[in-house]
Amino acid sequence: MENLLEPTKNLTAVNCRGVTKTYGQGNAAVQALRGVDLEVRMGELLMLVGPSGCGKTTLISVLAGLLQRDGGDCSVLNHDYKQTSVNETTQFRGRNIGFVFQTFNLIPALTAAENVATPLLINGVKRRVALEQADAVLKKVGFDDRMTTSLPKDLSGGQQQRVAIARAMVHDPRMIVCDEPTSALDSESGHMVMTLMRQFALGKDRVLVVVTHDERIFEFADRIARMEDGRITRIENPPRCAKEPQQNP
Amino acid sequence: MNFIALKMLFGDRTKYAGLLFGIAFTSFLVTFAASYFGGMMTRSFALIAENPMADVWVMDPAVVAVDRPINLPTSALDRVRSVEGVQSAVPLALAQADVRFPNGRFQSFQVIGVDDATLTGVPLMKDGATASVLRSPDAVIFDPGGTSGKLQTPLLKADQWPRGRPHLDVAMRPLIAGDELLINDTRVRVAGQSEALPRFPPRPLLFTTYSTAERILLPERRRLTFVLVTAAPGVDAHTLAARIETVTDLHARASDDFKADTVKWMIANSEDVGDAVTMLSIAVIVGFGVTGVMMFMFTTENLKYYAVLNAMGTTTRSLLMMICAQAALCALLGTGLGLGLCALAGRIFVSYDFPYRMMWFAPVVGGTAVMLVSIGAAAFSVRPLLKMQPASFLAGR
Repeated sequence: MENLLEPTKNLTAVNCRGVTKTYGQGNAAVQALRGVDLEVRMGELLMLVGPSGCGKTTLISVLAGLLQRDGGDCSVLNHDYKQTSVNETTQFRGRNIGFVFQTFNLIPALTAAENVATPLLINGVKRRVALEQADAVLKKVGFDDRMTTSLPKDLSGGQQQRVAIARAMVHDPRMIVCDEPTSALDSESGHMVMTLMRQFALGKDRVLVVVTHDERIFEFADRIARMEDGRITRIENPPRCAKEPQQNP
Repeated sequence: MNFIALKMLFGDRTKYAGLLFGIAFTSFLVTFAASYFGGMMTRSFALIAENPMADVWVMDPAVVAVDRPINLPTSALDRVRSVEGVQSAVPLALAQADVRFPNGRFQSFQVIGVDDATLTGVPLMKDGATASVLRSPDAVIFDPGGTSGKLQTPLLKADQWPRGRPHLDVAMRPLIAGDELLINDTRVRVAGQSEALPRFPPRPLLFTTYSTAERILLPERRRLTFVLVTAAPGVDAHTLAARIETVTDLHARASDDFKADTVKWMIANSEDVGDAVTMLSIAVIVGFGVTGVMMFMFTTENLKYYAVLNAMGTTTRSLLMMICAQAALCALLGTGLGLGLCALAGRIFVSYDFPYRMMWFAPVVGGTAVMLVSIGAAAFSVRPLLKMQPASFLAGR
């Protein structure tokens, strides 16, 4: 097996060694992570790929502080969740981590702009200011004034995912975690979403970790980490690079 | 975050309406029951309330409520009059009597014998008449006392004072001045109708003079029930009551205290109190059932979004505050709706002479019940929130 811990050239965003996580106890215990070693650098888009049940979602949950690891060491943005309380972890997440979910998870009662403003509201920004910032970010991802006031049910899948991306980056988090962001989208929408992610959500001081099964978007990755049975078995380069910023759709 | 919480609440109109209904229902029913109870209790001391000139009520030491009379010797009146600070003292007799109507039907009445000289104790009269009609021989004033349909007399002369069997199923009309009734084989003449406060329990009333009452009621060694005392100017009613007790060894209560004694006795002894408590309990249980289930369903269905908010940095405390904000808003609006409906229903009930009176404590009781229901519903619904694992929602599972 190749050395998974490549020499750190840039600032390290994620540094995990021997991370383990087990669900359940006794005979019903399922070992989801069996000693994961992973390093992700700032400015990098890392894709986690592998068969269902290999531990991808568990790993990003651990990276995002949604799950507590059982063993090993893990530093995310120079922060070790084991050293902080649940409340501190939640607040750290609110400031530093953005999420893009497979099923968008937009709040149905809120307009697109209000959904996008949510992370700002959570971080204590005044509602008027938050909505102004949300409007600005939505415009960046191609929304017009009418669409910003639309409810999620009135938007297409691709539009909803654009709202989700805007929501993930509106508060300028240092790490964005995406779980199957294109699985509910057609090929064209999937490409548009990944283009937006690279264009707006990735920078020198930011990192993107994307869990996916979707080979159509591998080209957007800087590196691809393959997982099997709770371990990262291989890290490889993408088939074709699509890293250059593209035109805003 | 309250902004998001309330938008989530308004966004689910069915459950929002269900929550409002549950809380408004609780507020309405509890306030209504409390107001009905207040009306009943107010009517229980109607005799005291319609004699405002009586600062102090003097009675046998064993009397605990206005409707539990034990008579006094006639000499008690003179003993009370001799106490310093008493401006005037008049007798009042209370008794039950079965009164025979002209068609031969019997109806139980409370007979109230008032002072012959001053006629103190006769309430306002209907049709502009005055209490002085009682100065005619064998005159009585009647009052429904909160009942309805019990004071009917035969329409036709042929059905009045029949020989043999009573004429019960005949054409009837309401009792009016000039009609005659029979009390213990003594004929009395109806001189008018009063507008006395309705009683609880409801019962027809007959006002007459003390001397007529002594004559028409069955003979008893003692007839005097209460001595109604007016305090001299500048004399405190409570002080006077204490002084009367010391000097006469009788039981004397200031008017307000006697009302309170009567209410306490009613609460402790009346079966209607149990009915009111049952109604209150049902209202709270049903309200909690509807509100709790709706709130629980609302939280459970939105659990995914609470998990998303938690993942995005909302602390558990903030999420709990969001649920509290939702419950508080529903409680506020539901209480307002319930109280408004209750006031509306109250107006209708009062117009039909039901014992409804929204006193200060009724909205307080209603508000407290709503608060308990809302806190219970919120506590019931936060359980899944506290057990929620945000990670399990990450992949849309």
